[in-house]
Amino acid sequence: MKDPARLAQENVTALEQALLAAGRSYGSSASARNKTLAALGVAGSATLLAGTAQAVPLGTLAQTLTKMTWGKILAAVSLAGAAAAVPGYYAWQHHQAAKATAPIAVTARPAQAEAAAVPSPPAVVARAFDEQGANQPPFGPASGMRDRPVTEARAGSVPATLARELSTLDAARGMLARGDATGALARLDRYAHAYPHGRLALEAEVLRIDALDAAGRSDAARARAQAFLDHHPHSVLAARVRTRLGD
Amino acid sequence: MTSAAVLDARELECALPVVSVPAPRRQDESRAEVRAGARVGARVDVRADHERNLRLRGMVDTHIDFVARVLRNSGTPHAEIDDEVQRTFIVAARRLDDIRPGAEKSFLFRIAFNLAAHARRTAARRREVAADQAPEQVERFATPEALTDQKRMRELLDGVLDQMDESLRATFVLHEFEEMSTAEIAEVLGIPRGTVASRLRRARVEFRERVAALQGLAGYVDREGQG
Repeated sequence: MKDPARLAQENVTALEQALLAAGRSYGSSASARNKTLAALGVAGSATLLAGTAQAVPLGTLAQTLTKMTWGKILAAVSLAGAAAAVPGYYAWQHHQAAKATAPIAVTARPAQAEAAAVPSPPAVVARAFDEQGANQPPFGPASGMRDRPVTEARAGSVPATLARELSTLDAARGMLARGDATGALARLDRYAHAYPHGRLALEAEVLRIDALDAAGRSDAARARAQAFLDHHPHSVLAARVRTRLGD
Repeated sequence: MTSAAVLDARELECALPVVSVPAPRRQDESRAEVRAGARVGARVDVRADHERNLRLRGMVDTHIDFVARVLRNSGTPHAEIDDEVQRTFIVAARRLDDIRPGAEKSFLFRIAFNLAAHARRTAARRREVAADQAPEQVERFATPEALTDQKRMRELLDGVLDQMDESLRATFVLHEFEEMSTAEIAEVLGIPRGTVASRLRRARVEFRERVAALQGLAGYVDREGQG
């Protein structure tokens, strides 16, 4: 059976053509994407951290890496140093996420790259967040892993604390979703106490803003939202916070 | 085609809380292990979480424009697109384990089309009230000058598509806007290819008749000719 041609390729009027073009040209907005990623709980996991790392200040690096061949990436790594390149690479790798399995670690020495261990992705992302620095004050210094070598990030080295952080935030989020804003705030307090340098501090802060708002403390929510945007204007979560502020 | 195409109202309701972040429930058990200090469990848990998130993120990156377009062309008002895009992916996340690799686009279409149908029925009630004002709107929009105005064209297109039967609309949208083949549409909609072809013919006839009616209604002169 032969497929019919598109109507737009046939003998149609200008108005028909314009209407068909209007239907084809519609696309999603950046805000839809950010809200979707945040709501999916990608914000509640290591994947969010990759997105955050991509946003500031490594976004430019990530974009550059996207257009580079492997050879150029390795050369760039040798120039820029692994500390900057690993999160950048990871952000790039995330762009290819649909087919991703376990990414190959990029080490400081290009010659070792192909033989490098396959890291556990969350560990790499956690390091990306650690080393990013820009995301730290006031919500999360996250410096606990900084003195470890990058190549340590390999399968099985994911700290159990990350899983516990996730569990705590999942619990808080669940409470908030069920309308228990006070309980969520208590859980977030517990998170802040247990993990003063938590690697999911940014997400915890966004949840806190949501919870404060839900608890009727809109002034406090607004103040924290503004502080968040002042410190993390390019975070993948910033769009979500701006929505809260009604910008 | 599977029965997964049909999402009941209860399931859609589950997707509605904006705050909700559906974590994979089957990982609860391994989370218990984490709490008990079982490091192996922690690794499996975090790894599974990560792989799931990678897949979700890949789906968003690859298909978000498609989802937004389907929602819009299936009758979701522009102002509600962001929320409906979000809901579409939330529902997909809940059903992630049911989505066969490679079938993501079909699955997302079915969710988006169902959500849009819901939005359309709500909007239809509003339109019924204002139906007698429609000709004035058309007259205002259907002028040659407006051809370059995407926003106005969009509103006109909404008016044309909204009059189509849902089944015709789905076929029309997938073929004309998403450029799917009749075989692909048959797979997505779960109908025979011959049915797709006949629906497409009818949809095109309706589309052209309604556009022609708009032109006649507005005294529209097609300066480009019947080119």
